[in-house]
Amino acid sequence: MTRLVNFYTEREHYILGGGFILLLIIAWESVPHLVALPRALSLFFTTPSKVWETFYELLVRNEVQAHFYVSATEFLLGLGLAILFGLPLGLIMGRSSVMDAMFDPYVTALNATPRIVFLPLLILWLGLGIWSKVMIVFIGAVFPLLINTYEGVKNVDRVLVNVVRSFGANEWQVMKMVVLPNSLLYIVVGLRLAIGRAILGVVVGEFYGATKGLGAMMARAASAYQVDVVFVGVAIFMAVSLIFTLTVKKIESKLTRWRPEAVKSF
Amino acid sequence: MVPYIQAKNLNLTFRPKNRDPVTALLGLDLEASQGEFLSLVGPSGCGKSTFLNVLLGLLKPDSGDIRLNGNRITGPGQERAMVFQEFGLLPWRTVQANVELGLELKGVAAATRRQRSAELITLVGLNGFEQHYPHELSGGMKQRVGLARALATDPDVLLMDEPFAALDAQTRDLMQMELLQIWDRAKKTVLFVTHSIEEAAYLSDRVVIMTARPARTKSTIKINLPRPRDYEMRLSAEFNDIKARIWETLKEELMTRSAGDGS
Ligand SMILES: Nc1ncnc2c1ncn2[C@@H]1O[C@H](COP(=O)(O)OP(=O)(O)O)[C@@H](O)[C@H]1O
Ligand SMILES: [Mg+2]
Repeated sequence: MTRLVNFYTEREHYILGGGFILLLIIAWESVPHLVALPRALSLFFTTPSKVWETFYELLVRNEVQAHFYVSATEFLLGLGLAILFGLPLGLIMGRSSVMDAMFDPYVTALNATPRIVFLPLLILWLGLGIWSKVMIVFIGAVFPLLINTYEGVKNVDRVLVNVVRSFGANEWQVMKMVVLPNSLLYIVVGLRLAIGRAILGVVVGEFYGATKGLGAMMARAASAYQVDVVFVGVAIFMAVSLIFTLTVKKIESKLTRWRPEAVKSF
Repeated sequence: MVPYIQAKNLNLTFRPKNRDPVTALLGLDLEASQGEFLSLVGPSGCGKSTFLNVLLGLLKPDSGDIRLNGNRITGPGQERAMVFQEFGLLPWRTVQANVELGLELKGVAAATRRQRSAELITLVGLNGFEQHYPHELSGGMKQRVGLARALATDPDVLLMDEPFAALDAQTRDLMQMELLQIWDRAKKTVLFVTHSIEEAAYLSDRVVIMTARPARTKSTIKINLPRPRDYEMRLSAEFNDIKARIWETLKEELMTRSAGDGS
């Protein structure tokens, strides 16, 4: 008995959270069995079991995989480029006031502009293939990474820089021993934001102009009243976002072992 | 014979952007002999930390000459180490890794580092806390880490910038006693900045009293109390006499400062 209680208390958080989701799904599933939906409404209505069936069919026909592959490619390429550009530029702008002054106007102006305004141009220039989407993902993801890295570098403790210098550290060692560890948390927070924006970029980009990808699949299904297919897309995006959020949180808590508990959550 | 540490006519003015320049050192002269325990007292903001940073090699004076053992100081060096006021521990490093910082930068092999840091952690009484992070330690423990880190590279000169200011009175008394024991065994030259007259008188061979900003040395008082010194000594008439003498000299400077604050 106590073992059962222990089992519960250790996992209470997950059991309650998971249980509530399960409850909602059951409630949703039972709606058509409890009330008679008017014909017009039932056209737009679906149930979890139907979504699951559709998902299975699409899986068998290899359709979701194909769309997923395109979306994932856009996401990974765009985010990868954003990391490749955002991190070094953030570090450089944080350390050098000349670079800071040079790039700051662009960063501020571009970051303040809603990224969607670039979409028509990008599609004109890059076409309906993956590269217009890669670019929109890049534009969305690069700024949170750049700005957070920059903030982290700027917030470095001068005293700690002096401490390691006094023990004979050179510029590179100062970077490695103080500036980087100090910025790491900021960078991870930036990464979390960047992932959210990257996923948004994929969805919006594909809604607007694409022939392949989960977003395109959803847009097409919606115009054909295939509510089940739209929900399959929603579920996949939710699952992916959740996985990424949890992964980044894991990384974050690994990196914050040296921090007092209270400061842990931003 | 050349003094072991010799500062001659040091001048240093800070020129912060968009603000008035601040002259922190103006013609500062100071000497210390090898193995000496020298304290610096003076009004806060007079330039004591600035001087220690010049001696440490982190700040370059505008003019003047500062030498250690006859060699001009141009940057940080292994023969000097600082115990910082607010501890200056790297929060993402464990106690052990903090203590090993200087050794790591010196390029000492990991195994040797480990052995050396273990010795020092024992010396400052932090056994069992090797894998703790600074935020898990009390103020007194943090400053023990700071002390162990400074001693790890076995420097000849130990610079201490109000090292015990952030500690409670009892921890402070304890740390003072331990510092004296360590100093007695290791025979380092110590330059110790404090705003506590009592602390300066208790620890030092000589106490240098500095003027209000810009800092110069106003006068030096020799403490001829026998060593090893114990806590009871602080109650003696002789000790109180010394404290009174330091206070007399310092008082004038504190007045100058408060007069200057009004302007
Ligand atoms: N990096 C700096 N830039 C500008 N002013 C400084 C700087 N460091 C110290 N000062 C000023 O120089 C004076 C002496 O400072 P400091 O040496 O820290 O005094 P103390 O340690 O004696 O209290 C103070 O007025 C302080 O404001
Ligand atoms: Mg100071």
